[in-house]
This record gives sequence, structure tokens and C-alpha cells, in this order.
Amino acid sequence: MNATAKAMSEPVAEYAIRTSKLNLWYGTFQALFDVDLNICNGMITSLIGPSGCGKSTLLRSVNRINERLGYVRIEGNIDVMDKNIYDPDVELVQVRKQIGMVFQRPNPLPISIRDNILFGHRIHNKDLKSSKSDQNEIVESALKQVLLWDKVKDRLNQKGTELSLEEQQKLCIARLLPVKPSVLLMDEPCSALDPKGTAAVEELIWELRGEYTILIVTHNMAQARRASEECIFMLMGKVVEHQATEDLFVTPEQKETADYIEGRYG
Amino acid sequence: MFAESALNIRNKRVQNLFRILFLMMTVLLIIPVVIILATLVAKGGSIISIDFLFTDPTNGMTAGGIFPALLGTVWIVAVALLASVPLGVAAAIYLNEYAGDNWFTRIIQLAIINLAGVPSIVHALFGVGAFVIFFGFGTSILAASLTLAIMTLPVVIVSTRESLRAVPQAFREACWNMGATRWQTIRRVVLPNAVSGILTGVILEVSRTTGETAPIMFTGAAFFLPFLPQGVFDQTMALSLHLFVVATQVPGVPDNLPFGVALVLIAMVLLMNSISIAFRMYLRGKKKW
Repeated sequence: MNATAKAMSEPVAEYAIRTSKLNLWYGTFQALFDVDLNICNGMITSLIGPSGCGKSTLLRSVNRINERLGYVRIEGNIDVMDKNIYDPDVELVQVRKQIGMVFQRPNPLPISIRDNILFGHRIHNKDLKSSKSDQNEIVESALKQVLLWDKVKDRLNQKGTELSLEEQQKLCIARLLPVKPSVLLMDEPCSALDPKGTAAVEELIWELRGEYTILIVTHNMAQARRASEECIFMLMGKVVEHQATEDLFVTPEQKETADYIEGRYG
Repeated sequence: MFAESALNIRNKRVQNLFRILFLMMTVLLIIPVVIILATLVAKGGSIISIDFLFTDPTNGMTAGGIFPALLGTVWIVAVALLASVPLGVAAAIYLNEYAGDNWFTRIIQLAIINLAGVPSIVHALFGVGAFVIFFGFGTSILAASLTLAIMTLPVVIVSTRESLRAVPQAFREACWNMGATRWQTIRRVVLPNAVSGILTGVILEVSRTTGETAPIMFTGAAFFLPFLPQGVFDQTMALSLHLFVVATQVPGVPDNLPFGVALVLIAMVLLMNSISIAFRMYLRGKKKW
């Protein structure tokens, strides 16, 4: 519903993320080869492939964390909402605001649940003094979106680090929402969780589709199949196949894809 | 099948031998501490009183109290802290949070390590040259404190860096990926979690500074002064130097006086160490991640 409201007020890019001729080197090692991708706006797209295939590298170049390493060199474009985020006039802080990231290990800050949610909001709205009731609203709406509100509403002053892993991961997703990002990147968001937690977080990710474009790296093919609408298979730094998830798993076009999803390697 | 073999017995015997050897070494370590404390209490305990702490020395320092020296030490330590803590903490934050691993930071690291290795008497002479003469502070609390500050700077930097390093990298990553700048990250997340460690380091530094003699005896501490310091440009007496003076330089001092001074000095140091340990335990207990 929110997505349609957005669509009516402003023209929305068909593709949230587009890469063209993306090549990436760690020092002299080339990790990505001519990656051309169009990732649909408002959809959940999963990235699968064996370890070392470049899926995490690709994910991490979409919010420019890779460059923190210092020895990374990138050629080509990554357009997010039709703007190349590697252009010189792009402000990194705005990139990080528009493109949220969720990590493998939940990393809530050692402050209260409430402050965790408000952290990003406070950083990006320094001059706008928001009232206590505004803040309460932000906290409530973010926690409701991640299906955590009912569990923690009576203990918002508890430290975020004291929650269970599943709740921590939900909190980490929730704290991205108040600054209204357009893209959420998730790097194996469930791999530190038990099956029950995994199911809960997958359910939540599914709930968020439409409102956010979600790109999710996973080792777990069942998860890619359950929790994504499109799926990209990568191998040795190249994109092998990009299809609707159901098609990719049922009728893969490439032999490598078929071999991988049938568990012949990876 | 599971019976003890001759080899098992031999190995166990060797193992016991080493255990006892290392235990003895550990016990050996405690002996000097115990003897020092026991001697000080036995020989100097009798002189300790409120009067001793809060009156001036009399009769050419052979009687009376130690108030000017006690107060002087507090002055010197306080001013030294004011100089070294902001400088050291700032340097540590730069090195740990901003600087990359390049030739520049390596040179700074090397300088810090070397600074820590400079003998205190060399610091003293540097202090005379730099602060007393070049900057024209004269022999004063300021010159003495700055000399001490430079001497303790490496300790502050190293202990602050340790505390900063103890803050998990994941917290920084979390902030950066929400678009926080380095400074926002440091102020909102890193420092609040490192402050306990930093304070502990600072208190330990204080306790070291309290006992230093060489760096202050040429730069600001006086043999005897009949008045209390009024500001940082005054000279002052100091406990450590006072101990040296009454123990070796003045004839006719009763036996229990120097021991009493030493006891006060060591009590100050131990008190501050205990505060620092208690503080650390308290803050660690509150920390959860």
C-alpha cells in the first residue's frame, strides 16, 4: 500500500539497483567480472553461489563498505535509484542513509532498544528537534514493522545487546527503517540464528517487501527459494543466471546453475 | 588396560616438580611486598596521626608533620594530569580510530615506545632545559608537572588505546553503516564504552606519578619551604623528595619519621590503585555485550 502511495507521488525507478560492467579487484585479485544486473524496485532478490563467488563482495560494493579496506579498485557503475553511487558528487553519508545494511552477526549497539532505533534518526536529523512523542512514534512504528513491538514494548530501556539473537537481528533491521532507506542489503542475515529464529526473520523480510528493495546474500538455497522473488546465481565472480526465483530453481537455463542447486558443488 | 605405566609416573613427577617450582617463584614475588609493608608499618606506624598529616615540619625537619609535602604532591600530580590526560587520550583516539597503518603512524608508535623507555633522570634534565629555562617557567609546579606529564604520556596513550581496542569493531561497523561519521561513532559509541578503561589507566598513572622523585627534584620540588604553594609558578615540597631528604640529607631525624613518610606515600599509591581496581570491577559488572 505504501509502495503504491510512493508510486503516485513521484516517478519511481523500475530498477532500484543497476550495475553495468562492474569489475572489482582486491589488490591484484579480481573478484568481480563485468557484472551487469538490474534489480527490481521493491522486490526481494537473493544472491546465491558457492563461497568465494563474489556475492558478498557485490553486496558490499552497493553501499561502498568495500572501499574502507583501502586496496579495493572498482570499475563500472552501480546506479542506485538511477544515480551512480561512485560519482564524485555523491556524499557517502547519504549513501549509507539510503542503503541500509544487515550483517551476518546481529550487531545492536550497547545502548537501550529505544536508543538503538533512534540512533540513525538522530544522526541524520541533527537540526530538527523531534519531540518525545515523535520519537515514541518512530520507535513504535519501526518495532512494529519488524514484528518486535509486542515483545519489547514494556522494556524499551533494556540494552539491545541483552535480547536473544533473533530479536537482536530484528532490532538491527528495525533501526534502519526510521531514516527511510530505499534499499536494504542483508549479508546472510539468518546464519547466526537457530531454525526458529531463521523462520521469524524470513517472515519479517517477506513482510518488508514492496516497501523496500531487499538484496539478500544467502548460503541457504532453501531460504533463497522461500524468501525471495528473484534470484541471482553467481560463480567465480560472474553472474551466471538471474531469474524469477521459482524459475531458477525449477527450470534453470544454465548447466552450472542446475549443478549448484542440485548440490553437485558449492 | 587403563593401569598406570612407568612412563605415566615419570611424566607426572616431572609435571609436579615444575608446578612446585613455578609456585615457589610466585610466592617469592610476594615476599618483598610483604616485607616492605610490614617494615613500614612496624617502624613508621607509630608516627602516623592526623597532626602528622596536617602540620608543617619543625626543628629543621626533624619533627612535626608533612603537610606542605603532601599538599605539594597533590598539586604536582593534579597539574600533571591536566596536561597529560587530554593530550594522551586525544593522541590515542587519533591513533586507534582515525590513523591508518602507514609509515607516519609507525613512526609515532616507535616514538611512544621510546618515550616510555627514557630513564626518568633524562626526563628530569629535559624538563630543566625545556620548561625551567627555555619556556622560562623557573623551578615551579608547572615545570615539574609538565616534566611528569611527558614522562607518563606513553602510559596514558597505551592504556587508552587498549580500552579503545576493547570496544568491539562490530559496534563501529554498525554506526558507520548507518552513515555516522567517525566522530559521531567515537562520541556516541566508542567513548562511552571505553571510558571505564580510560579512567582506570588514568588512575594508575596518578599512582605512578605520585612516587616519582628524579623528574621533579630539578624542576619544581624544593628541599624545604616554609610556606605553601599559591599557584603553579611556585615551588613546592613533595612527598617523594621529602622522603629522600629526611632519610639521607638531614642529621638527627628520629627513626620513625622517614618510615612514616614512606608509609604515607605508599598508602596514597595503594589507595589509588584500589580505587582504580574497584572502579573497574564496578564498571565491568555493568557492561554487557
